[in-house]
Amino acid sequence: MLDTTQTLLTERTMSKDIKISAKGVDVFYGDTHAIKNVDLEIENKAVTAFIGPSGCGKSTFLRCINRMNDTIDICRVTGDILLEGQDIYAKSVDPVQLRARVGMVFQKPNPFPKSIYDNVAYGPTIHGLAKNKAELDEIVEQSLRRAAIWDEVKDRLHQPGTGLSGGQQQRLCIGRAIATAPEVLLMDEPCSALDPIATAQVEELIDDLRQNYTVVIVTHSMQQAARVSQKTAFFHLGNVVEYGDTNKIFTNPEDSRTESYITGRIG
Amino acid sequence: MMDQEHIASAFDRDLEGVQALIMQMGGLVETAISDAARALEMRDTELAEQVRRNDKLIDALEEQVASEVARVIAVRAPTAGDLRTVLSVLKISGNLERMGDYAKNLGKRTSVLSEMPAITGTGGALRRMTQLVNVMLKDALDAYIQRDVELAEDVRQRDSEVDQMYNALFREFLTHMMEDPRNITACMHLHFIAKNVERMGDHVTSICEQVVYLVTGDMPDEGREKQDRTSTDSALGKV
Ligand SMILES: Nc1ncnc2c1ncn2[C@@H]1O[C@H](COP(=O)(O)OP(=O)(O)OP(=O)(O)O)[C@@H](O)[C@H]1O
Ligand SMILES: [Mg+2]
Repeated sequence: MLDTTQTLLTERTMSKDIKISAKGVDVFYGDTHAIKNVDLEIENKAVTAFIGPSGCGKSTFLRCINRMNDTIDICRVTGDILLEGQDIYAKSVDPVQLRARVGMVFQKPNPFPKSIYDNVAYGPTIHGLAKNKAELDEIVEQSLRRAAIWDEVKDRLHQPGTGLSGGQQQRLCIGRAIATAPEVLLMDEPCSALDPIATAQVEELIDDLRQNYTVVIVTHSMQQAARVSQKTAFFHLGNVVEYGDTNKIFTNPEDSRTESYITGRIG
Repeated sequence: MMDQEHIASAFDRDLEGVQALIMQMGGLVETAISDAARALEMRDTELAEQVRRNDKLIDALEEQVASEVARVIAVRAPTAGDLRTVLSVLKISGNLERMGDYAKNLGKRTSVLSEMPAITGTGGALRRMTQLVNVMLKDALDAYIQRDVELAEDVRQRDSEVDQMYNALFREFLTHMMEDPRNITACMHLHFIAKNVERMGDHVTSICEQVVYLVTGDMPDEGREKQDRTSTDSALGKV
């Protein structure tokens, strides 16, 4: 009895370790100031949800974390983003290597124009994660199982991924993202094209992933944020207005803008 | 609290609807308490009977609140202040239903007591105690509707007066019973009535705690001391 109480107390008071630390981050698209001086510390092995109205900068900030914004010409990022204390924008960092550590699932499903199998096998192959064909087969199967799509595609692995339905494509992309075993998984509205069953399966997967990975998910579903995340950041007009424990945000938020947003009021 | 309206106006109507049910319940309970007190004082068995009958309406409203709240939770998945609103509605309807039961119990005992000789001198004190509780209930419901934490805290403090009145009545009944054992049956009934009224005060206190929770998100501190000392008071032996 005393032991459990002690553990509970220690867990509460112990400061959690930080996987990603953003300090004074600004993002501009030409003249558009999309992210305004954001500081955010993302906990290791936890799920963090980004919520907020459309256009507030959630996807923009998410893309900063694996330097996806590098691919957008007019995009300029300033400030620091540290992955385990290491500046990911340092000259020495190879963005391709970074993206193997920080995987991403996009808002719109974007399978490669290749077979279902190749979509998943591609990452593990280029990063040399499988010693032989049997190991690669195993990685592909496990990734697709965890993405809750294996049963639907196991008999058509060599057909094109683009021939799947929207929801199936999204789960294929999730399978592809976890195939390289990234440390951090960024998910931009991963369930927006999924039915309730597949959504529940993806949420189950996210919960499972947090044993080993750090997950950051952008979602427009307040219930999804409440269900899957331990931390929630509320973005508004490029600022992080409130960031804290998900339980607190959904029962008693500090900021009236957060409350207006999550309770569905005109903010 | 949020004064702003929901984008889905039906959500506002849902929340207003359950809160209107609470107010309706509150009104019926206030009437039940004052009628029960009057019936007791006037030995009006007709009125006492009416209080007992009307309790069914209060019970029915409580069930309606419970099913409405279940529906709102299922359909709207309320969060933050909305979540606290539906939770407090559920809790308060439970408090009001119990208060209705106590009023009904007063009615039952009034019917029994009217067959017995009156115990002089205790009627006024019981009436004052019941009136105090009823004013507290009215203020608690006002505090709820106005989201007035200060008023809720004030009502919470007043409950110790009720506890003190109960302690005084307890001693008085004990004295009557020791003086003349023929008073025991009537005094026991009167004592249970006083105890029921004291319990009503506790439910009002609980409503006030819900107001504080609803507005602040936290339950109030246990700042209020329990004043019922009848179980520990050694002075009782000397009465
Ligand atoms: N490639 C781009 N070029 C120019 N402006 C952009 C680009 N991407 C985003 N923006 C602008 O940056 C701001 C933030 O957009 P972002 O996509 O990050 O929002 P979001 O919070 O993800 O919205 P949504 O919920 O609709 O996906 C918006 O004003 C948007 O118009
Ligand atoms: Mg977006």
